[in-house]
Amino acid sequence: MNDKLQLPNLDYAALSPMLILFGVACIGVLVEGFVPRRIRHGVQLSLSLLGLVAALVMVIRQGSKDDVVTAQTAVAIDGPGLFLSAAIIVLGIVSLLLIGERSLETGGAFVAQAAVTANTDADRDQAARTTGATEVFPLTMFALAGMLLFCTANDLLVMFVALEVFSLPLYLLCALARRRRLLSQEAALKYFLLGSFASAFFLFGIALIYGYAGQVDFKAIDTAIQNSANDDILLYVGLAMLAIGLLFKAAAVPFHVWTPDVYQGAPTPVTALMAACTKVAAFGGLLRLVYVGFHRTEWELQQVLGTVAVITMLVGAILAVTQTDIKRLLAYSSIANAGYLLLGVLSVSERGLSSSMFYLVAYGFTVLAAFAVVTLVRDADGEATHLSRWAGLGRRSPLYASLFTFILLAFAGLPLTSGFTAKFGIFAAAIDAGQTWLVIAGVVSSAILAFPYLRVVVMMWLSEPGETTPAVSIPGAMTAAALVIGTVATLVLGVAPSVLIEATEHAGIFVSK
Amino acid sequence: MEPIAYTAANGWLGTFWLLPAIPLASAAVLLLLGKRADRWGHWLGVLSVATSFVLGLTYFFTLRGLENRSGVELKLWDYIGVGDFKVDLGLLFDPLSAMFVLLITGVGSLIHLYAVGYMDHDPGRRKFFGYFNLFVAAMLLLVLGNNYVMLYFGWEGVGLASYLLISFWYLKPSAATAGKKAFLMNRVGDAGFAIAIFMMFAYLGTVDYAEVFNGVHKLSSGVVLVMALLLLLGAAGKSGQFPLQAWLPDAMEGPTPVSALIHAATMVTAGVYLIARSHPIFDANSTAQTVVVAVGALTLLMGCIIGAAKDDIKRVLAWSTVSQIGYMFLGVGLGGAAYALALIHLLAHGFFKAGMFLGAGSVMHGMHDQVDIRRFGGLWKYMKITWVTFGLGWLAIIGFPGLSGFFSKEPIIVAAFEREGWTAWLFGGAALLGAGLTAFYMTRLFWLTFHGPERWTDDIRHPHESPKIMTIPLILLALGSVGAGYLLSTSVPEWLTPVYGSEHTEHEPVMSHTVITILSLVMTFAGAGLAIALFNKGTALAEQPAGPLVVAARKNLYTDSFNEAVFEAPGRYLTRALVYIDNRGIDGLVNGLAAGVGGGSGRLRRAQTGFVRSYALSILGGAVLVVAAMLAVTFG
Amino acid sequence: MNLSLELLAAAGDVKGGEAATFWILAPIAVLGALGMVWARNAVHSALFLVISMLCLGVFYVLQAGPFIGMVQIIVYTGAIMMLFLFVLMLVGRDSSDSLIETLRGQRMVAILLGVGLSLLMGIALYRALGDSDPKGLTEANAAGNVTGLARLIFTKYVYVFEVTSALLITAAVGAMILAHIQKSPEEKISQPERMLKRFLPGNYPAPKPGPGVFSTSDSVATPARLPDGTPSDRSISKILPTRELTSADVAPKGTEK
Repeated sequence: MNDKLQLPNLDYAALSPMLILFGVACIGVLVEGFVPRRIRHGVQLSLSLLGLVAALVMVIRQGSKDDVVTAQTAVAIDGPGLFLSAAIIVLGIVSLLLIGERSLETGGAFVAQAAVTANTDADRDQAARTTGATEVFPLTMFALAGMLLFCTANDLLVMFVALEVFSLPLYLLCALARRRRLLSQEAALKYFLLGSFASAFFLFGIALIYGYAGQVDFKAIDTAIQNSANDDILLYVGLAMLAIGLLFKAAAVPFHVWTPDVYQGAPTPVTALMAACTKVAAFGGLLRLVYVGFHRTEWELQQVLGTVAVITMLVGAILAVTQTDIKRLLAYSSIANAGYLLLGVLSVSERGLSSSMFYLVAYGFTVLAAFAVVTLVRDADGEATHLSRWAGLGRRSPLYASLFTFILLAFAGLPLTSGFTAKFGIFAAAIDAGQTWLVIAGVVSSAILAFPYLRVVVMMWLSEPGETTPAVSIPGAMTAAALVIGTVATLVLGVAPSVLIEATEHAGIFVSK
Repeated sequence: MEPIAYTAANGWLGTFWLLPAIPLASAAVLLLLGKRADRWGHWLGVLSVATSFVLGLTYFFTLRGLENRSGVELKLWDYIGVGDFKVDLGLLFDPLSAMFVLLITGVGSLIHLYAVGYMDHDPGRRKFFGYFNLFVAAMLLLVLGNNYVMLYFGWEGVGLASYLLISFWYLKPSAATAGKKAFLMNRVGDAGFAIAIFMMFAYLGTVDYAEVFNGVHKLSSGVVLVMALLLLLGAAGKSGQFPLQAWLPDAMEGPTPVSALIHAATMVTAGVYLIARSHPIFDANSTAQTVVVAVGALTLLMGCIIGAAKDDIKRVLAWSTVSQIGYMFLGVGLGGAAYALALIHLLAHGFFKAGMFLGAGSVMHGMHDQVDIRRFGGLWKYMKITWVTFGLGWLAIIGFPGLSGFFSKEPIIVAAFEREGWTAWLFGGAALLGAGLTAFYMTRLFWLTFHGPERWTDDIRHPHESPKIMTIPLILLALGSVGAGYLLSTSVPEWLTPVYGSEHTEHEPVMSHTVITILSLVMTFAGAGLAIALFNKGTALAEQPAGPLVVAARKNLYTDSFNEAVFEAPGRYLTRALVYIDNRGIDGLVNGLAAGVGGGSGRLRRAQTGFVRSYALSILGGAVLVVAAMLAVTFG
Repeated sequence: MNLSLELLAAAGDVKGGEAATFWILAPIAVLGALGMVWARNAVHSALFLVISMLCLGVFYVLQAGPFIGMVQIIVYTGAIMMLFLFVLMLVGRDSSDSLIETLRGQRMVAILLGVGLSLLMGIALYRALGDSDPKGLTEANAAGNVTGLARLIFTKYVYVFEVTSALLITAAVGAMILAHIQKSPEEKISQPERMLKRFLPGNYPAPKPGPGVFSTSDSVATPARLPDGTPSDRSISKILPTRELTSADVAPKGTEK
């Protein structure tokens, strides 16, 4: 009672990427208050980009140092953590380019004042004239910072806080679409309600695990699993609850239900952000949870989560078949991809880890490029996402149709694209781990999934362009940059993947302290 | 057998990656620059291939000067390196690929030059040259790869280019259909090839030529047989061999230079290359070799018979190609010294068949794109150069003594008689019969086109010779048809020694060489004489009723009907069923009710009501299941 | 301090008083939760929730966690729920929310699954904890409950504690963008200006007539009639297409009696 509180030793260098992003976000909020509206967009955009680049530099500098567990045992800055952080930051930069784009339509993809009632005169007026809200930049920064923390959290409680920190800005961002605002607001509300529901499960799980292990950090849980006297029921029910919370974010069936609606309703740049970065974060967290804390329950996890993975892959692929909206199609494809990623998680091996990380990066780039194309195909009412409107796009704008074809082929896993190398790595790791049944389901699901992709390809190239085929906008510099980065990365990771594979292998394994 | 090893490329040879890179760069320029390149694009196309040819020559002589000619390798990049699984992509320049490089770029340059004239009036000439360069690049990649994956990339690349070029005039429905047919039939073969590659991965863990060949003897003979047959399926698809021959004649819908380069001289010989390259696999299993020989023999007879009944000048040449490649398959199937013989025939055939195709193009050019040989006749007076060059090609293909066909085809026939037992008689006899039939239909083609009475359609007054830019390649190719045979037959076997070894177990043929040669000459002259006698007076202008064999030959020996009944009809029903399900599913969606609509997808969609409470219910249900499952798995 | 020490002494095994309090409050808490779900009136729902939360607060105190118990009562019940009630009152309570379930089987399945999960968890936890002794509480509360918490928050979790501020900023920013409408300066009119404008000649100062007033049709698209019989276009929404009245519409329909 008389010993003084000793502040834990915080390794600021190791934490600096997160601190930079949080700092930039706070400055961004201040910018909203004090910088004139006219130049706010430019200031916010450059500030955010600078912040991300600085964070990336700090991540890379940290990469050459030893693994650090800082803030006592709360945060673990280790090889995989740094790799995932770098992935989130790089993908975040590309998404930010899409978010910051303003030349495709007046004022960008975001609504100016979300409080104006949708579909009123005032709303139509602001959709046509005013520039979009710039609060999206600090919100994005908060989300990305939360994701970094989520990937490096070494403790269930930290993980929960990080989960909320990156979820809340995403809920908000979803509600800010300029067009089809009712859909967007509905999506945000659904995401928020269901997200809270899933968080509750996660929290319940933490409580049960605490009851079992008496601790919430992963290393202690691992120790407790070896020698705790408490009943294993607590452990397994708690683990199931934790898994539910994480599988919700990862969009695994049957916790995927929010995905199509949210992907469709959210502004497309935000959808891209969610598809690329949230996926990295969710699986980064899941990987650490399983690999550090619960790897001794491998067998049970493989049975239960393996079933979830099979259902996810198959249901995602089957439902993708009848989609008629390109964003929903990509949403279901993202669900199926979550299933493939679960294979990597369930391998519980070094190869499983490195192949999952490779997959996350490869998929992130491809999906960003895909949504970049979606933002380009538009008519007077904004984006034309209904598939029938894409018929004959190949005749109208061969360049973008070819790019999109390439991206779809990458999704389908054709050799020479990153989709192939990524899937190959994951399947190989799963076979190594003896999970052949999962791989069989994965191959079947990829085969089914190739059908909707190819249908879009056929529709774009072999159908005659109709009256309603929209034109493709000439992309602004930033969308063009995002599209080029995504496509080139998809190609390079397909043709010469060894560089990144080496990086994932070099990242080593999660530290467990 | 001593292990196969290649040395690393250095010095001047270290730059041989330029060979495919130059045409590829040119193709990229032509296709990306668009209309801006319209004025000079075709010359860039010609130049790039010619440059590759000159480079190829220098590499060829450099390789010849080396002490160890077994081949030089160039590592390009590590494709995948996951765990113990590795694919390193690289290029290989050995005597076999050197030969192909010279054929592709040499004949390719001439045909490119010819195409400048032939496509003069076509608005899509730039695009045409872009695709053409793309094809050359892919073909060079195919022969220069040092592993099967690289070969496969080139394989698919030439397939793509060929598909684009066949349907180049895609507004013509027959061209579009032919393109699709070629695409689909090639897929069947490619699937076989791909599975063979997967087998190499599975059984040997590598696809490198050297490692695969050195590892073949470790495999059980069943595995080798299956692998070899799958490779054969791939080869048959690409080379238009039985049972995948039907696409090749239809592919003549493309522009004539395409037929000459892709569907006569180079791409269709890729199958022969594949087998010649994979010789250790085929050598390791005699059953596989026998199947190759049988396929070759059957196809060569089929091609002759159908070719004799066709009236379209390019179709006759196409079936003749099918039949000549049959000879090459026969050769590579025989193994041993016959590998070199087949390759000599391949090179010689590249010259004279390309020459004849270009000659046919020249005839069509002068005759308002008429292709029916019944409406030609007496053209020798009007297009002298075409007549002479086509005539030399004709003499070469029928095996007239002294010309290239004589030096390349005769030895294959002799080699066929060298087999053991009754198969010598079977395959030797087929080859001999084929020689006679070849002489018959080629003479028919030549005589009906250039001699006999003029049977032109009314709109043609003055057939004219083609411009110089088209005749110069014709002359050069004709010179090749005359001289190549002798030169090749003396030098090629020695040149290929590092690939196939020098010692051969010679069987005595069942008849002496002299007897076989005399027999084959007799067959040839009999066939040619019969054709001249029959067609010197011309022929009927329309199809005449004929005996069952001719009717069958006109219908491609019913192979198309067979394909239709066995593959196409079930395929069509399958497609229809899929379309039906698709329509049902999608229409149901559009109508806003997913309930009870076809397909599991539609049924699953019902869960996606759009109401957040039902989503929450789904999550709750999932939670109950996961918790219950976890408990069941742990304590069950 | 005395209280917490006593509570500490009581921890470990459940004695009479604690057990009695629990068994009295637990049903009330459950009833409160059920009432919140079932109440038709939003205000009633909120009040039921308050009851539940109060009971929970008492439980926390009973469990030797006085700090969290007080926070529960003061912050959640006292502040947040009251704020909730204010908002409900301001927005206007409307008890006529339709509670008819349109999805077939939804309610049934929801109840089944809810009960299923509760049973599953209940049985599992009962089996897991039935014979285990709670331990560690004395050590955790050794320096007092609040100090113990502070020790964790300001040492191990200090970073996370700081990070939660990001959550609060996000929430504030979110509330602003979702609820705040910024008026441009020219849109801002002072009260005198507004009054003058209202009585300018040509403006009709009285409230707009509702649609259908003095009208012969009850469609919202039918303009109201002014006392002199002329249709007023001020009475219909701008987003509705104007409907031309035919003579048949205008003609008396014999309902004027």
